[in-house]
Amino acid sequence: MAKLILRQAAILLGLAFLPAIASALLRPPQPAAWENPPRFGDEISVQEAERLGPQALWLDARPDAQFEAAHVPGAIQLNEDRWNELLPVALKEWSPARTTVVYCSSQSCGASREVAERLRKEAGLKQVFVLDGGWESWQAAHK
Amino acid sequence: MDEPALEQSGGVVQLRAVKISRLRLLVLVAFLAGGARLSAAIVFANPEQDFHPKPGEPEVVAKFQFENKGDKPVKITNVHASCGCTTTALAKQEYAPGEKGELTATFKIGDRIGEQVKTIAVTTDDPAAPNFALKLKATIPVLLQLTPTFLYWPPGEELKPKVIDVKVGPEFPIKKIDVQPSIPAVETRVEPGANEKEFRIVVTPKPASQPVSAVLKITTDDPSKPPKAFYASVRLN
Repeated sequence: MAKLILRQAAILLGLAFLPAIASALLRPPQPAAWENPPRFGDEISVQEAERLGPQALWLDARPDAQFEAAHVPGAIQLNEDRWNELLPVALKEWSPARTTVVYCSSQSCGASREVAERLRKEAGLKQVFVLDGGWESWQAAHK
Repeated sequence: MDEPALEQSGGVVQLRAVKISRLRLLVLVAFLAGGARLSAAIVFANPEQDFHPKPGEPEVVAKFQFENKGDKPVKITNVHASCGCTTTALAKQEYAPGEKGELTATFKIGDRIGEQVKTIAVTTDDPAAPNFALKLKATIPVLLQLTPTFLYWPPGEELKPKVIDVKVGPEFPIKKIDVQPSIPAVETRVEPGANEKEFRIVVTPKPASQPVSAVLKITTDDPSKPPKAFYASVRLN
C-alpha cells in the first residue's frame, strides 16, 4: 500500500512538472525593455566617434546632476530640461564640418534620441548621431 | 438499493456515467495543479496613462496601482525609467498574495514640447511575468513654435535675410512678440504671419570678416508668471 502511494505521488509530481515545462517553452522569459533596445540607423560607436577627433561635437543629454558629476571631456550640455537656455550655447560650438554625437545614460535612456531628433527638426542640423551604448559605453572604453 | 456513484475495481475508478482510469485522473489533477500558475501574479490596473498638463505645470505624476493576485509573495526587484526626467517611488518591494500597492512616476516637463512617452520598466521575481513596461504619456502644449531655431550663413553665401516662422499655440492668448538680438551685428524685424497666431522674424546679418554668433531672445505678451523667453541662434561664417 505504501509503495502504491509513493508511486502515485512520484507520478503526480512528475506530471506536475509538465505544465511548468510547457509554460517555459511556450512563453520564454521576456527580456526587460532596456536589455533589448530597438536599433536605429543613426547610431555611432564610441570608437567611430573618437576617430573623428576634434571634428566630433559631443553633446550630453543627461540631467544636470549627472553632467556635473562626470561627462565626456569637452562635451557640451544639452538636455530637454533646459533646452531653451542650453541650445544657443551648443549651437555656438557647432559648424558644418563637425559631426554631432549625442549621448545619455545607457541604452535605456531615450533622451539622446529625443535631443538628436530636435536638433534635426528644429535647428535643421545634419550629421547628428546618437552614441551607441551611451555614457556607459564611453566609460567602459576608458577604464 | 441505489447503484453507488463510484466503485473501484482493479486500476479503474468507475463513475456512474464515465470510466476513468486512476492514471488519467492523476494526470488531470497534475495538470490542474501545475497549470494554475501560468498567469502573472502582479496585475497593474492601468499600465498606460495619458496626461494633458496645463501650460506652466512643471510635472506630471502618474500612479500605477497594482495587486498581487497570485498565491505567493512577489518581490519587485527593480524599477527603471527610460529617462532621467522621470523618477519613481515605491513604498516597499515585497507584496503578499492579495496585497495592493502603488508605483508613483513623476515626469519633470522642463522645456519639452508635444507628445512625450516615458516607459517605466518593472522587474519582479515572478517567473510567470518577470517584466512589465508601464507607460506615462503626456501631451505638452506648445506656447511658441519657432521654425527653424537656427539660422546659418556659411562663408561666401550672400547675406540675404532669412526668416524664422513663429506659431503661437492655440491655448495661448499671445498677440505680440518682441525680439532682442544679443549683438548689434544682427538685425531683426517682426512681421505678421498668415493669421493672428503667426509671426515672421526676418533676420539680416551685417557683413563681417570674422565668424559671428548671436542669440535672439524672443519674448511675448503672455501674462503668466514668470514670463517665458524663447531663443533662436544665428551664425555667420
